Amino acid sequence: MKINVMQDVLQANDRIAEENRQLFLKNRNLVLNLMSSPGAGKTSLLEKTAEKLAGKLRLGVVVGDLETTRDADRLSKFNIPAIQLTTGSACHLDANMVASALPHMQLDKIDILVVENVGNLVCPAEFIVGEDYKIMILSVTEGDEKPLKYPLMFHESALMLINKIDLVQYTNFNMGEARANARKINPNIDIIEISCTKGTGLDEWIAWLVKHHQKKLGELSHA
Amino acid sequence: MHEMGIAQNILEISVEAARKEGASKVIRINLIAGELRGIVPMQLTFCFGIVAKDTMADGAYLDVEEVPVAGHCKNCNSDFSVEEYEYVCPKCGSPNIELTGGTELRIKDIEIE
Repeated sequence: MKINVMQDVLQANDRIAEENRQLFLKNRNLVLNLMSSPGAGKTSLLEKTAEKLAGKLRLGVVVGDLETTRDADRLSKFNIPAIQLTTGSACHLDANMVASALPHMQLDKIDILVVENVGNLVCPAEFIVGEDYKIMILSVTEGDEKPLKYPLMFHESALMLINKIDLVQYTNFNMGEARANARKINPNIDIIEISCTKGTGLDEWIAWLVKHHQKKLGELSHA
Repeated sequence: MHEMGIAQNILEISVEAARKEGASKVIRINLIAGELRGIVPMQLTFCFGIVAKDTMADGAYLDVEEVPVAGHCKNCNSDFSVEEYEYVCPKCGSPNIELTGGTELRIKDIEIE
């Protein structure tokens, strides 16, 4: 006997993501799901962001890492609340894992919550966790063709940060190609070129954060 | 390896739907997977075989119907298939398009006994 099911496979995840989202709304958090391949600079970006936002906006981080607490250790030096989710062999964070971290955070004392996903260009793009925006980092050492190889992540992201631009002269990374490839997949994607080690472009990134935080507050006051 | 998590979800939804019908066995599951989901059918069926072991869906055939990426142009109202992830209207060149296919990941129906 054949029966119609017509159910989204990830509906269990999406339901929990919606619960997370309601909690974030209540606490007036702008929530970003930060994705990239391993070593592209997610934790470095957050270190610099914590430094630059200090005294302006309160940052909080939920970080997914396979086996260690190294990322959370790096971030705790900046006096920001950082919760480490040790994901074991999981290749991405899902809504349920993020939900498990939230009771350990004082969300009402956070303006911007960044969920630092597991380093991987495929799986994290599949699972919403309750975020306002997905954002991603592509580093120049990875190659300018990556948007074409991993289209979902580039398609889902509101912002692409191109990191390590201070190293571009040592690579065959073509900035124009990278931008064109990303825009082909996602015409509306914002692109900011940065170097976490040299500090290039970070003011523009902070301005992006401030703008989207204000936008979120504006939406909340109209809701 | 997001296939393993997806396989687990497919199993849970199918078993629940079959139980509701009072079935004792799931024989076949028809899945719709959009191209943008990046599902590797061979990997997914392999993972499904593992998670379904010793459940009522043990040995069930998982069919993965792949759906190409499709778009609708909000500027000229034409519908088209998106080739090579080129998200612009092939007719008028507008980037003002919405996706109408390619992101779905849904269990269409199942066969039970």
